[in-house]
Amino acid sequence: MKDLLPRLLLQCALPLLLVLLTAGCAPSDSGSTGSDAGTAPRVALVMKSLANEFFVTMADGARAHQAEDPERYELIVNGTKDESDLAQQVSLVEQMVATGVDAIVIAPADSKALVPALRKAREAGVVVVNIDNRLDREVLSSEGVEVPFVGPDNRAGAKAVGDVLAARLEAGDRVAIIGGIPTAFNAQQRQAGFEDAMNELGAEIVDVQSGGWEQAKANVVASALLSEHPDLEALLCANDNMALGALAAARQAGRDDLLLVGFDNIDAVASLVESGEILATADQHADQLAVYGIELALELVASGEGTASEDRQTPVDLVTGDPSPAQE
Amino acid sequence: MTASAPDRPAGGAGWAARSFAPVGLSLALVLLVALFSMLSEHFLSLVTLRTIANQIPPLMVIAIGMTYVLIIGGIDLSVGSVLALSATAAGMAMHGGASPLVAAVLALLVGSVCGALNGSLSVGLGVPSFIVTLGLLEAARGAAYLVSGSQTQYLGSSAEVFAWPIGGLGLSASFLVAMVLVVVAQVVLTRTVFGRHLIAIGTNEEAVRLAGIDPRTPKIVVFVASACLAALAGLFQLGYLQSADPNAGIGMELSAIAAVVIGGTSLMGGRGSVLNSCLGVLIIAVLQTGLAQIGLSEPMKRVVTGAVIVVAAVLDVVRERVASRPKG
Repeated sequence: MKDLLPRLLLQCALPLLLVLLTAGCAPSDSGSTGSDAGTAPRVALVMKSLANEFFVTMADGARAHQAEDPERYELIVNGTKDESDLAQQVSLVEQMVATGVDAIVIAPADSKALVPALRKAREAGVVVVNIDNRLDREVLSSEGVEVPFVGPDNRAGAKAVGDVLAARLEAGDRVAIIGGIPTAFNAQQRQAGFEDAMNELGAEIVDVQSGGWEQAKANVVASALLSEHPDLEALLCANDNMALGALAAARQAGRDDLLLVGFDNIDAVASLVESGEILATADQHADQLAVYGIELALELVASGEGTASEDRQTPVDLVTGDPSPAQE
Repeated sequence: MTASAPDRPAGGAGWAARSFAPVGLSLALVLLVALFSMLSEHFLSLVTLRTIANQIPPLMVIAIGMTYVLIIGGIDLSVGSVLALSATAAGMAMHGGASPLVAAVLALLVGSVCGALNGSLSVGLGVPSFIVTLGLLEAARGAAYLVSGSQTQYLGSSAEVFAWPIGGLGLSASFLVAMVLVVVAQVVLTRTVFGRHLIAIGTNEEAVRLAGIDPRTPKIVVFVASACLAALAGLFQLGYLQSADPNAGIGMELSAIAAVVIGGTSLMGGRGSVLNSCLGVLIIAVLQTGLAQIGLSEPMKRVVTGAVIVVAAVLDVVRERVASRPKG
């Protein structure tokens, strides 16, 4: 009987420790940065995987934007564990609504599954702006909500990148595309843009395969494509990480002449674009993508309208090593 | 390649000698190669074989460690994350001007620390290795993002030393190292006292303890070895792709477990063969490359991969039954 107390203490210790740990960790990333909560609107930025370089850049850009004028609005940044963690993102949206934010700017993990949660947010009077991955229009209209999309035109960007490659090819040349995750909207758009450019030239697209946005996987696919189609002239990769994987494959196969293009303009490819080993990539200004969304959200909060019917397009710039060719 | 040596003993005991014969697996491998050769005219070529040989070292060395861990009745889910953490640590060091040798030592050091953590917590405190390594799967991945700032580092030719093809042969140094390690690990497992202790621990740890042998030291050694091999895999991948990617090796633990279990190693411990794991890795690698060469769609690739893993395992079980019946 007398050892009941220590045992009870021990029983409580673990949960207590967990609570303390979580509490200790929480404010660093998901905590709000801002001023007096009374007047300034509160904007929640709900991201996909904060493990991904692209989304980290996006979030950092938003934080920097908020820090420039801290009086203007309060920013709460949240992200999910990985890019496909739907359930977590839905509960993030619900939490944000529950804490009474004025606006949610969201990069949806899924273009359909997030719509019901966002409808509830709208019904609670929260302004919702969609960035990065466009919500499915049919689902939006069947749920009866309007959510403006602010984002880059991936298809036009990919077309521009493809055009740089096209200038180096002739009609009838054989090329292949290494795409992203096939269910992702931006992967589909980039593939379409690449296809537009290649079809316009009359090049033959011998194969389109997914590299899963990932270096090692793209490397396996690129190696296989090179052995299967020894006469391949070029590989169009839907992001730069996959272009790096393809570059390693080309070197391994002794195909230094293989032409490569990518997308995203990550730091790692800067020197390769400079040297022409990667012909072109596209910069969609990741650091500004969330900021554009936040700007629209603030406008909508200020005007009291809640939503806009017009989408807003953000710039995508072509990046090449050589400043002269095919810029227009 | 190294396949199809006739019935080779690998477990010590007589029954084990029969059940580990790699005939069934070699047959599955040959069937796969034959199938892909029929479906694609370019598959059965030196180029393809060389490509596969240069792609498998990371998975191969991880599978060696995993075989040992499964034999002692444990599991190591952290290998993919440890691969990424050690590769990004080495990548950042090289980016900062460190020599490849220093970077390699750093990577292996990171691996040993991770392994010591896994080993001491699971063996010393008796926490199931499933939980401990699951924790490290998360933590090491997070650390990899922290170390690299979530950015891919491009290292260029300075990283070639870890994996660049040896002149003439076209085979990378990492492939040769992996092959040597397979042989060494198999010999240690079957021909040394240490190896017998491991099998005994996996079969009946209590009996080992009663026999006056402390099972803790060998178990910790196995966890450290597994993590160090994961770090080595990280260096191989770093060299092969010439860049360090914090997303590298996601899901690698499952590929490794699949390869090892295809090879007949028991998830319950006490039974396993490094040579057979090696065949399991080859089956997975041939499948990856073959499916990419015939250009199957992404969903079909996954369906086929899953089916082949199961069929290969079934084939081995059936062959084992048939072989043991007459003596039965």
